[in-house]
Amino acid sequence: MRTLTGLWRLVRLILRRDRVRLPVWVLGLAAVVIGSGASLVPLYPEQADIQQYVDLFGDNPALIAFAGPGYGFDNPNLGVILVNETQLWACIGIALMSIFLVNRHTRAEEDAERTEVLRSSIVGRHAPTAAAVVVVAAANVVFAALCGIAFVALGYGATGTLAYAAGLAGCGLVFTGLTAALAQLAGSSRATLGLATAVLGLAFVLRAVGDITGNVLRWLSPIGWAQGVRAYAGEQWWPVALCLAATLLAVAAAFWLATRRDLGSGILPQRPGPARAGTWARSPIGLAVRLQRATIVAWMAGLALMGGVYGSIGEDVEEMIEDNEAFADVLAQMGGADVTDSFFATAVSMQAVLAAGFAISAALRIRSEEAAGRVEPILAGPVGRWRWAWSHLLVAAVGTVLVVAAGGVGVGASYAAVSGDASQVLRLTGAALATVPAVLVLAGVAVALFGASLRLSLVAWAGLGVVVLVELFGELLRLPSWSRVVSPLHHVPGLPAEDLRAVPLLVLTVIAVALTAVGLARFRSRDLQVG
Amino acid sequence: MAPVIRCSSLVKSFGSTRALDGLDLEVAPGEVHGFLGPNGAGKTVTMRIVLGLLRADAGEVTLLGGDPWRDAVALHRRLAYVPGDTNLWPNLTGGEIIDVLGGLRGGLDGTRRAALVDRFDLDPRKKARTYSKGNRQKVALVAALASDAELLVLDEPTSGLDPLMEAVFQDCILDARAEGRTVLLSSHILAEVEKLCDRVTIIRQGATVQTGTLDELRHLTRTTVTAEVRESPEALGDLAGVHDLVVDGHRASFDVDSDHLDEAISRLAALGVTSLTSHPPTLEELFLRHYGDELADIGVAGTAAPDDGRP
Repeated sequence: MRTLTGLWRLVRLILRRDRVRLPVWVLGLAAVVIGSGASLVPLYPEQADIQQYVDLFGDNPALIAFAGPGYGFDNPNLGVILVNETQLWACIGIALMSIFLVNRHTRAEEDAERTEVLRSSIVGRHAPTAAAVVVVAAANVVFAALCGIAFVALGYGATGTLAYAAGLAGCGLVFTGLTAALAQLAGSSRATLGLATAVLGLAFVLRAVGDITGNVLRWLSPIGWAQGVRAYAGEQWWPVALCLAATLLAVAAAFWLATRRDLGSGILPQRPGPARAGTWARSPIGLAVRLQRATIVAWMAGLALMGGVYGSIGEDVEEMIEDNEAFADVLAQMGGADVTDSFFATAVSMQAVLAAGFAISAALRIRSEEAAGRVEPILAGPVGRWRWAWSHLLVAAVGTVLVVAAGGVGVGASYAAVSGDASQVLRLTGAALATVPAVLVLAGVAVALFGASLRLSLVAWAGLGVVVLVELFGELLRLPSWSRVVSPLHHVPGLPAEDLRAVPLLVLTVIAVALTAVGLARFRSRDLQVG
Repeated sequence: MAPVIRCSSLVKSFGSTRALDGLDLEVAPGEVHGFLGPNGAGKTVTMRIVLGLLRADAGEVTLLGGDPWRDAVALHRRLAYVPGDTNLWPNLTGGEIIDVLGGLRGGLDGTRRAALVDRFDLDPRKKARTYSKGNRQKVALVAALASDAELLVLDEPTSGLDPLMEAVFQDCILDARAEGRTVLLSSHILAEVEKLCDRVTIIRQGATVQTGTLDELRHLTRTTVTAEVRESPEALGDLAGVHDLVVDGHRASFDVDSDHLDEAISRLAALGVTSLTSHPPTLEELFLRHYGDELADIGVAGTAAPDDGRP
């Protein structure tokens, strides 16, 4: 195993470097999942309560799309609810953790030319990749184990809990191996992150479609495998083996690809580019567009695709609900909001959370440019800080509008196609666009933090974390109702199910602009920083 | 004429580290000014303050007659900068980046740009992520030199260039001087500074230790003399201003302070000179003399220059 020489030293190096980051990821995710699990126990004390939950949500397509297939609903127990409420999000969380951490310790290290230094010493060819996989795999297992121990302590069945935890770890492991392989394939760490999160998005969509239409697509998704363990509902273990096999295969592919490329390059080819720049190079805004356009287009495509999937099942929603009298009653009591519209309102706000991820990363482009030392040559020219920063931020804002709109057009166009109602395109695109001010508030927080310092600006991601927590888990964790106020998305009228109200949108816009102005004002009076 | 750059008593701290501690720097119009100092002495911090990228805690900075923090944009129209670590956008080509940096100042002279790309033997169609350090520096150099800036601020611009490209760089700087441009050049390649610079400033631990023309600096220090004489040269050791005397039979070599050179040569003449060589200190010797005690601390022999003769 000479190609793995130095593995354990590298493992220790990663543990030393990420002595804060790893516990934050693992404990943070575990706290949310365990907290959700704990809050379910007093909520459903009797079998009748459990049965009521199942009756209410059993055939709700929104729940199937954003939760899971609902194994065990025919003979439910509390574990079934636990799976339904938490497993999908835990899978996404652990997959994101695995993607970010593996990329950070493989491709990002290589881009920073640190891998080169390591590899020049007594370190085997595959040791850096293997070390990253070992550490992240261990983090997955620790996370799953923490959840498992806590659930058993809370009184959930041991076998089911073991299956639940094994599914989680399995899903995380697949994305660990997958990212290691994609890091070999892509030409840079940005491209690696892009490919890996695209695969995660695809996995999410495939299992949603698979579960709603009840076909084989769900078995193409690692998230589908984790759910396929059927925790608390007649466990089956072969999907766990499937996860492990896929992980090993992906890691083997990573090693194989690594021997077929040069350090620092990718397998996907690099073509020579233009010798001269176009007219875009004449202004900071042109440069910002040039630097961000590929990311914007990729996000637009991603959200449009995802929206297309949701739109295409719009018709099924109605049919499903007709069979579910309990749910229809609830809806009728709520004022008779249209079921399909409620489903789309959920889809739209889900896409807004994703778009917030884009908006924050696009706004923080000014941070990465500064951290990498690339702003220095620009500001040493006749370009002021204000002009440089707002050029990037304007592109980020317009990009956000485009990304959100693309998601809305995706939902609207595909629903129009299945329903034959062309007006849905405009209606659902409008519903999506109503979320833009809220999304921009989150980007504004990023800019405000950026004005203070480079290190602090990464805290903006915690802002997104809070929104996810409040929006997706607020009720489950029984957070106090005032806590929802901090989520900008909470203030957006739930179009198309609710009516448009202009005041909240205006207020949100003002807040976003104010945060941006504060950040830029502080940026103008502070030193440039590197790293 | 007013200086192009003038820094007086600059102070800048990062947390508890004092990066600059009363630094002075003055660059006159039309000169090539060498900026020397060991790693971490504060050269890059000074340049960043001069460019208004950092703000000094105390002291005054004037750049082209203006305040570099307040008037950054207007002043930057008149200068071009090559950073020490040239960081480029990995997914743009070298040619595109040259146009970005030039385009922001309103475009570059096309012929000049093409000539420089040619002279530096740069492939402008390659993506920046595939460039070596030397090639990244070439991109920044071409962008700076192809501009019509009246001031060039260059932070160790040749640290990654091969000797051939360094020669090209030196030609370009001499051309720039002939055109009347002002250059502030920090460098570790002392032969390069010696060849290009009209005046130099040597700094250490954030403060200026010496500034002036090379001749002036030499005058402040010692000349090395090696001579063969007919009589015993031992008595030379008694002369004021003579250091490091080494006697080997009738052969003597020593360093002498410039203001005692006259006496030493008269004494040598009295001893009956049969051969004589002397050379002024090289910049390297000047440099080492200023950092002699640091080098002695870390155990580099023969640089501490104490007057204790030989073993």
